This record gives sequence, structure tokens and C-alpha cells, in this order.
Amino acid sequence: MDGVELQILWSNMIGIVSEQARALQRIAFSPIVREAGDLANGLFDARARMVAQAVTGTPGHINSLAAAAANLLRHVDADTLRPGDVLITNDPWMSAGHFFDITVLSPIFRGEKLIGYAGSTIHHTDIGGYGIGSGARDIHEEGLWIPVLKLYEAGVRNETLFAMITRNVRTPDALLGDLGAQVSSGMIAAQRLNALCDRYGLDDIESLADEIIDRSETATRESIRALPGGTFHGETTFDVPGGDRITLKTAVTIDDKAGEITVDFAGSSGRSPRGINVVPAYTQAYATFAIRSTLNPDLPNNAGSLAPIKLTLPENCVVNATYPSPVNARHVVGMYVPFPILNALSQVVPDKVVAEGSGAVWTVQIQGRDADGRAFTSSMFNYSGGMGARAGKPGISAVCYPTGVSAVPVEVLEAAYPIVFTCKELERGSGGAGAQPGGDGQRIGFRMRTTQPWLLNTVPSRLNEAPQGLAGGGPGRPGQFLVNGKPVVLSGKTDMKAGDEVMMITPGGGGFGALKAAKVA
Amino acid sequence: MKKYSLAVDIGGTFTDAVLLADDGRTFVDKTLTTHGNLLEGFFRGVGLVLGHAGIEPGDVNDVVVHATTVVTNALIERKGPPVGLILTKGFTDILYIRDEHRYDMYDPQIEFAEPLIPRERTWALDERVLADGTVEKAAREAEIAAIARECEARGIQSVAVSLINAYRNGANEALVAEVFAREAPEIFVSLSSEIAPQMREYLRTSTVAINAYTVPITRPYLNALIAELDRQGFSQQPLIMLSNGGVIGAGRAGTLPVRMIESGPAAGALVACYFSRMFGLPDLISFDMGGTTAKACMIQNHVPLVTGTFEVDRRYRFKPGSGMPITVPSIDMIEIGAGGGSIAWVDELGLLRTGPESAGSIPGPVCYSRGGIEPCVTDADVVLGILDPDRFLGGDMKLDAAGARAAIGRLGARIGLTPEQTAWGIYEVVCEQMAAAARTHATDRGVDYRGLPMLAFGGAGPVHACLVADLIESKQVIYPPLASVLSAFGTLVTPAQIDLVRSQLGPIESLDPAAARALVGQMTEEGTAALTEAGLATADIGFVFGADLRYLGQQSELRIELPFDPRQGLDTAAMRAIFDREYIAQYGLKLDDMPIELVNWHVTARGRLPERATAHVSKGGSRPAPRSRIVHFRGKPVETTVYSRAELMEDDVIPGPLIVEERETTIFVLPGWTVRLHPNGSLVADKMTEH
Repeated sequence: MDGVELQILWSNMIGIVSEQARALQRIAFSPIVREAGDLANGLFDARARMVAQAVTGTPGHINSLAAAAANLLRHVDADTLRPGDVLITNDPWMSAGHFFDITVLSPIFRGEKLIGYAGSTIHHTDIGGYGIGSGARDIHEEGLWIPVLKLYEAGVRNETLFAMITRNVRTPDALLGDLGAQVSSGMIAAQRLNALCDRYGLDDIESLADEIIDRSETATRESIRALPGGTFHGETTFDVPGGDRITLKTAVTIDDKAGEITVDFAGSSGRSPRGINVVPAYTQAYATFAIRSTLNPDLPNNAGSLAPIKLTLPENCVVNATYPSPVNARHVVGMYVPFPILNALSQVVPDKVVAEGSGAVWTVQIQGRDADGRAFTSSMFNYSGGMGARAGKPGISAVCYPTGVSAVPVEVLEAAYPIVFTCKELERGSGGAGAQPGGDGQRIGFRMRTTQPWLLNTVPSRLNEAPQGLAGGGPGRPGQFLVNGKPVVLSGKTDMKAGDEVMMITPGGGGFGALKAAKVA
Repeated sequence: MKKYSLAVDIGGTFTDAVLLADDGRTFVDKTLTTHGNLLEGFFRGVGLVLGHAGIEPGDVNDVVVHATTVVTNALIERKGPPVGLILTKGFTDILYIRDEHRYDMYDPQIEFAEPLIPRERTWALDERVLADGTVEKAAREAEIAAIARECEARGIQSVAVSLINAYRNGANEALVAEVFAREAPEIFVSLSSEIAPQMREYLRTSTVAINAYTVPITRPYLNALIAELDRQGFSQQPLIMLSNGGVIGAGRAGTLPVRMIESGPAAGALVACYFSRMFGLPDLISFDMGGTTAKACMIQNHVPLVTGTFEVDRRYRFKPGSGMPITVPSIDMIEIGAGGGSIAWVDELGLLRTGPESAGSIPGPVCYSRGGIEPCVTDADVVLGILDPDRFLGGDMKLDAAGARAAIGRLGARIGLTPEQTAWGIYEVVCEQMAAAARTHATDRGVDYRGLPMLAFGGAGPVHACLVADLIESKQVIYPPLASVLSAFGTLVTPAQIDLVRSQLGPIESLDPAAARALVGQMTEEGTAALTEAGLATADIGFVFGADLRYLGQQSELRIELPFDPRQGLDTAAMRAIFDREYIAQYGLKLDDMPIELVNWHVTARGRLPERATAHVSKGGSRPAPRSRIVHFRGKPVETTVYSRAELMEDDVIPGPLIVEERETTIFVLPGWTVRLHPNGSLVADKMTEH
């Protein structure tokens, strides 16, 4: 295939995954999918290699999904799949690291021939069990575990499975609606892929996939070969709900002959009793993200561009979760995975990295009864702190890095749940000083419109350990979590009284480069 | 007595003027846009067409319609006077926080534009409305008055007000307007509850901020226009084209500049509606390709699809998310960075790409010889032989074919292709890019694009339309006359129209019919007021009603047209039936037990369709023998017939490959298609059926 033919097929394929993602986002019920964009879509070839991904989503989801198709097909013989089959799982080790994320994989047939898969992962509102937060003591307390099963078999709903799911979650309508959106977006992708094959007279997409994946891998290896070889060290320290300090250490080895990078997490904190342990796939997701977005953000993200990046994980390690460790709030550690890698890479490509920022988004979920006594469980919603500064640009205020999710608008939340926000503004001056200052965090306050007690599940981080600057830049300011004006240490679900007011102050990002000394007059 | 109507479309590069007489004669001209003072170009263009017709300003006794880029320019240049912003206390950083979205996950270097109204000119108002419309804390007059005085002292001419949940209850905002009117009457106040009464605080605030920012530029501009038209002896008040494809009086438009942003492109889409009626084709795709971008719009049942939100002034690599969002009714257009000036390049994977970087008109493509060194889409068109380097703009501008070939050769060498293969590659890639965008856009909206006829215009549109059509399985391409001034023409074949949206949240079964009647009643009154100001008689105003619906708990809505007038009662069974049907069309499923929720009412107030005749075709006679030249089609040289547009006769059916040249553009028709001249002056290319 020449560079013209391939480009034409490739742009078609990108079109398909974008359509798939947009359909998913528009049909979805939960604010977290529609407003926050917490989803991933990918198209896989018949060998379960991710070929193309939608440009929406989060690294945690998209890069986990990249591996999910192959994981699922270790449990289902691909030769037994028939048109109309749809696979499902929320197994943390097979997809995105906690039960909330359900992965749906739809085989795509051209006539009788299996030519690929459409996959999606979205964060569902509720999955039973503990709910949002890190308080469960083992994984079984965290909710419903759906092994790899057929959600549809030859187009027929698996009623047993639907009944099982419906009875085991708090918000079955939202879950079934969002699951329907996933199935429907898979159907759209299947139609579009067949239309593409019709248009260009293809029997399958194997040679197209080979070309794209091979070229992506070659380009990635080339960009690594252009770096100096060696091992570079980086580390980051942060605190998680409950106040525990976590340290992630990385040795980033650049093999400039093979064009490979290996990230070794030896020396990082061990397994945690709280639900913040990260499964290897999720660690891999954020590690590859850090490297790919630093070296060549414009390259497509697929099996080829991900292949040259390898991980070494020690046995007892917070980013190598093993059964039955709880994993529910794995993002509060997982979203810090990029920072020790970026610190290491700052010794190699200082102009391309980002200083430490607030890291994980702060997530919130509320449960209770409204003024009329009706029970509600909100979708998870999240807020960012400040992003770290770049060598040539300041950090951006109130955006999350490494993830890319949006905040649900105040007005959407207030219309959906009995919540009232008292403020949502920048925490000015919270970004670290520097030649390029870090981005500012935010100050977000809320209370409930109810006369009943309510439950707060929230996952803040960096309440003590400040995001560090780079190259002489100052640290950002750590966050604060206040109830009725007083700092509280939360480690799990918290019982709240009717009139309680919550104030969350998210951390600022670190600065980049020393602040120029003021001129002496 | 003859009737004359006049239209002027000010675009980024050219100002187009069209004078239409009711006997079908049309006078057109183009002049360069005068960015220092847009009205200079306006009246130069007007002078030219009046001169062609030999008439005086006083003879223009039908409408004067204007589409303009003044608002977009104001936003991009950001040289406007200081503007203030009043927000709810505790929420004063809405424009800084946006939606917290990092629009490109992989690129750590992204940037956002500075907020249009900075924090230094933002005031916090101690007030609060809750989501159900309850006023938890009423705004206090004394506090507002103090802000008004401060604004006045700081020389602020215009203020935006966007209070939390004001889409639900605008009482506190209304009080701000009232107190300002009393305390600082010369300050113009834009209320979010009037400009964009919809949920989502950032979208609404961004929209009202844009309105407030552009009022001090747009109002004086339109007032000067009114005054100068009057001074020159025109008897008509000008009408202004809005982004939704309607026109309203210039006086009112000056207070709603945020609705004028896509005024020119909207006019282009309306031309497509006009031709869809003329050809009796209810559904078609308009395709307008110029120097830096291409735009397409779906016409369904003779009207363009509309959208609620779009973005202006994308700051970082043209990426969606890097601009400012706007939520006002607008014609739903696909805009992609693919035009004649789009630069071709080879990416890290060795794939040939075009755009979004553009050489624009300066330095422009290599063949313009204005200093451009990077190969562009137009250079490829020259190398292929589709464009004649000696006849570009009727021969007024000689193109450097050798330079273009050398630049494309350098690019092709990197991926092992000859200059001609590379040029065809560029041609094909840019067409596929447009086709892919059209496919996504259409299916996103539940439209089956396959087989839809296409209307092609703009300088580069007719050059590429046939292949784009082929790629979206279209069977027919229409090349209208006056292609180069078509948007201006579009404003003259458009009824006066205003679209209004108001939120009323709740399951349809439990909606309060009285509240619906009151809300929709307000909207029809507002629409009537706007259109009577534009000179319409009340009896000529009609309404179309619509609603945004979703399943309870969903976050995104489907817009449906209502078969009833909500002021006369609510037919919830019909609402459910239409919603279910649309939902299946878009998503392939419906959810039977799920309650349906209303989010917004829509009212379109519209005047009657103007009846302004056009066209003219010379019949019979003999024409000179056609010329021919080599076109490098799919890497092979193919002898291709070349006509001038004026040489074609009504009974001709000419097979492709074929080139038809006119002054401002060139039509290229592929093998397998035939071309005929329609009595209305359009050329029509039809795909031959395969045997």
C-alpha cells in the first residue's frame, strides 16, 4: 500500500471510531460519559490488536482497552463467535482496573467472516458493593464482578445476565441505558466498517491493520532511537485518602539500539490495604501515555505504537495489584504514574515534559434522599487542580493532566441531584512559582438540599504532599478538604448531616524553571 | 415598476455584491474586503452593481440584505473597548475554568485563548437561583447600582450578565438590566437569560460574553450602515443575515451580534435550499470549498439542518476545544481545514496528508508566485492539468506551473511517487477528507447521505466536487451559476426568520400545559416583534414548533419538530411517537419503559419565502470546437475536453472527463459522469449507471 491509499483507508477508519464514540456519548445516560467524556472506543483487527482509537476518552481507559480485547479472547474462543454476539466484562485485571468500568466487545462480521472487533469501556454510575471510594477491604466488597460472558448471543439478550446485573446495582436504569449505548455504538462501528470494506473492495482489514501497526511501531522506535541511551531515574510522592504517603519510583531505560523504553517501578510503595491498588494494565496505560505524549503525541495510538514500551513491576507493589486486593479508587494512584516517568525524561527531553500537577482528579459521589424522601445515587463527578508548567508555557489552571475528562457543569448536577454549590472558582496563587508558573487549583463548595443525613464518597489526594516544580520551579500548593470549615481526613464513605457544607480546594501545579530574581534598583 | 433587491456579503477576502431585478436580470461584482473600514468595500461593491444596472440608490425598492464577517473579525482581532461581566458570587471564574477539559489528551503543549472578558472586569453579584427556579437569594438593587457606577467610572460600554441557573429563572438578571437602565443607561446590558437561555453555565456565559464584547463594535457599524444607506438615497432599512439562516432588521441585529457570527456561511447553505426547491430535490448536500476551508451542510426537506452549539476562533492548531463555544441556533455546518491553500505534507508514518495548515492567500500556493514554498492543494490541481495556469481568474493571474511541479516533486520523492502521482494523491486525499467529514456529520445526525445530490460552489468547490460526490455515493452534482458570489445571492432568496429556544425541564407526561403555553407564548411574541421590526406584516409570520427531548436521565437531547402548537395544549403521545421514531433512526433502538423528558422548546418565526425570479440561458446557436488538454488522472495522462461555461448549450449531454472553465472557478468532471446544462443556468453532472 502506498502512502496515499493507506491515508485514505486510515482516515476512514478514524472516522469510524469517532462516529462510534460520538454515538456512545450521545446515547449515554450518565453525566460522567456525556459531560465528562469518561469513555474509550477502539477498533481491533481479527487478531485483537487495537488498530484505531477515538480521539475522546482518557488514557486510563483507552490504553487499558487496547489490551482488553486480547484478554477477553483468552477466555472465549474466537472461532466460536457468531454474528450478533456481544462480549462483556468488568474484570479489573482484564480491562480498566475496577468494577465500575465495563468493557463491551462486539465482534464484527463480514458475511460469515470475523474481521475485527469494536470495543468500548465506560465508567458506569454504580456497580453495587461499596460504591466510589477506597474504603473496601478486599475486592469482593467493591461490587459485582462480571466475568467474560456473552451479553448477547447471536443477537439474543442474555436474560440471566441482565437480571443478575439489574438486581445487584443501585441504579439499574442508568446502567442498562449506558450498556445499551455501548452495544449500539458497537453496531454502528460494525456497519461502518463493512461499508468501508464495500467502498474499497476489501475482504477484511488485515493488511490495512498490518500497515498501520507496523508503520506506527517503526515510527515510535525511530523516535526512541533518536534519544540518548541510558537509565534515568525519577520519583514522585503524594498522599491518598486516609493520609497514607505513596512513593512511585521509576528507572526509565532507553534502549537506543532496539528503540525500546523499559520502565521499572522497583522501590515504589508496596500493596495498600485500601482500595487504591492499580492493576498492571492500568499502570501500563498511564506509563505508555507519559512516554507517547512526550515523544510523539501526533502518532496514532495503537498496538504498534504501544509495543516498544515495556514495564517491569516488582511483586509487592501498589501499581501491581493482585487478587484479592481492593482496587476501587485505583485512579488516585494510577494518575500519578506518569510523573516519575516525566521526571526521568526531564533529564533527556526537558523541553517536552510537564512539571508535577495536581495529578489525580478529585472524584465525588453523593447518596441519600431528597426533600421528598426519594433515594438517589449520583453519578461520579470530578474536579481538577492545576496542571504543571511546561518549559515554554505556564501550567493550565483547572485542567487535569494526565487524564482529559471534563467537569460536569454545576447547572447539570444541580438539575439532576439535590445538590447546591456554594462556589466554584480558581484558587488563585496556588500554582507554583517559576519562570513558567504552575496552573491554579480550584475552590469548590457544596451542600445538599435535604433534611436527611447523606453519604459522601470522595477521593481527594495531595492534601499534604505538594506537586513539585521542575528545573528550579516552585511547588504548587497542596489541596484542602474541609467540612463546615474544618479539615477532615477521609478514608472511605462518610456520613454527613443535613446542613453540612463541603469545601474542596484542589492542588496547584508545579512551576517550571527558576523565577528570575527581581532587579535591584 | 421594476423591483430591485440588493445583497452584500463581506467575507474574509472578498466583498460580493448582487443586484437582482424582478425580471430575472442579475448584476454581480466582487471587490477586495476593506478590513480597516468594512463599509468602504460595501459601498464600493454597491456602486459597481448599481453602475452595471444603470440605476440609482433610490431605485432599489425591494430589500437590502447584508451578511458580514464583522463579528468574527472583532473576536479574532480583540481590539474592542473594555467590557464587563457580572457573575454569581462564588462563580466568577467561569471563563477561566471552562469545562476543565484538556481537548487533546496526548498533546501536553495545548493552549487556551485568554478569556474575552478578564477577571479585572468581572463583578460578583451576591444572589442565587436554584435549579428548580426558586430564588434563594434575590439580587439587591444597591449592590447592582454600585457595580453600574463602577462600570461607568471605568469607561465600560457593554456588560454581560450570566447568573447561575438563570436559564430557569431570569428574575435576578432582569433586575440587573433594570438597575443599569436607570443608573447607567448608556451601558448596553446582555443577559444570558435572553441571549442563550440554556443549561450549562460555561456555554451560556461564553455566549453572552461574546455578545457583550461585540455589541460596541457591531452596533456602531450597523448604525453607520443605516445612516450611509439613507444618505445615499436608499429607501430600505437593511436586513442582516444571521447564523441560523434567517434575516432580521439591522437595529435588532446590533443587539444580538452573537447570532451573526456565521452569517456568510449560513447564506451559502441557503443557496443550497433555494436550488433544492428549484430542482425539486428535497434533500441535498451543499459543498463550498474556498482557500482555507471547506464547508458542507445537509439540506433536508428543503431546509438546512441546524445546531445549537458551535465554536469560534480555534487558537491551537485549529483543534476543536481550543476556541470559544457559542450556544445559539445556527446552521449546522461541517467545516474542515481543507481548501485550495491547504498544505500537503508527509507525516511520521509516511502517509500523505493535507491541511489543516494553510498557506492562505499570502503567501498562498507555490503557483501563485507570492513567496509560497510548500505544495498546496491548488498546486496539485495545476500539476494534474485541471487548472490551466494561463486562464486562472480569466487569465488575470498567471500561475507558475513549473514551480508547483517542483514543489510537489520534492514532496513525492519522500514517499517514492512521481510528481503526477503525488498530485493525484493530494487531490484524492483532500477529497476523501471532505467525504469522510460529510459521512461522519451525516450519520451523526441520522441522515443517510448515500445518493444525495450535491451542490458545489466556492472557488475550489467545483474543482473537487465530482470526486467528493463519488466518494459519498452521490449520483448528481449541481454547479449553480454565479458560483463566486453565491452566498450574497443566498441572502436574497431567504425568508426573514428568527429561532428561539427556552428551557422547560420535566417528564412530558407531567408537564404543566399552562407553563408551556406561557413560555411558548413569550417566544412567539418575541419572534413576532423581531420580524415586524424587519418590516414584515404580522399576517405573513408563521411559526414552527420544536422540542429537545431525551430519555429521563440522559444527558443529550434529540430535537424533534412538533406537529402541534404547544400554546393550544400538549399532545404527549405524538411527542413520544416522534421521539421514538427519531431515536431508532439515529441509534437503532428505543427504550419502551423509559420516561421521556423535555429539555427545551424551540420556536421558529418565519416570514414568507420571497419570490424573486432569476435566470436566463442562451439557447441554440453554434459554438467553437472544444479545446482539450492532458489531465493526469490516477497517475495516467488522459486527453480531456475543455469548454468555457458560456459555450455550453441547453441540449448538450457531454461525457466526462471534462473541464468547464469560468472566470473564478473550474469544473472538473470525472470519467463515468455526463454534464448537461439546466434551463436555470446550472450545470448538472450525472453519474452514468453501471452495466
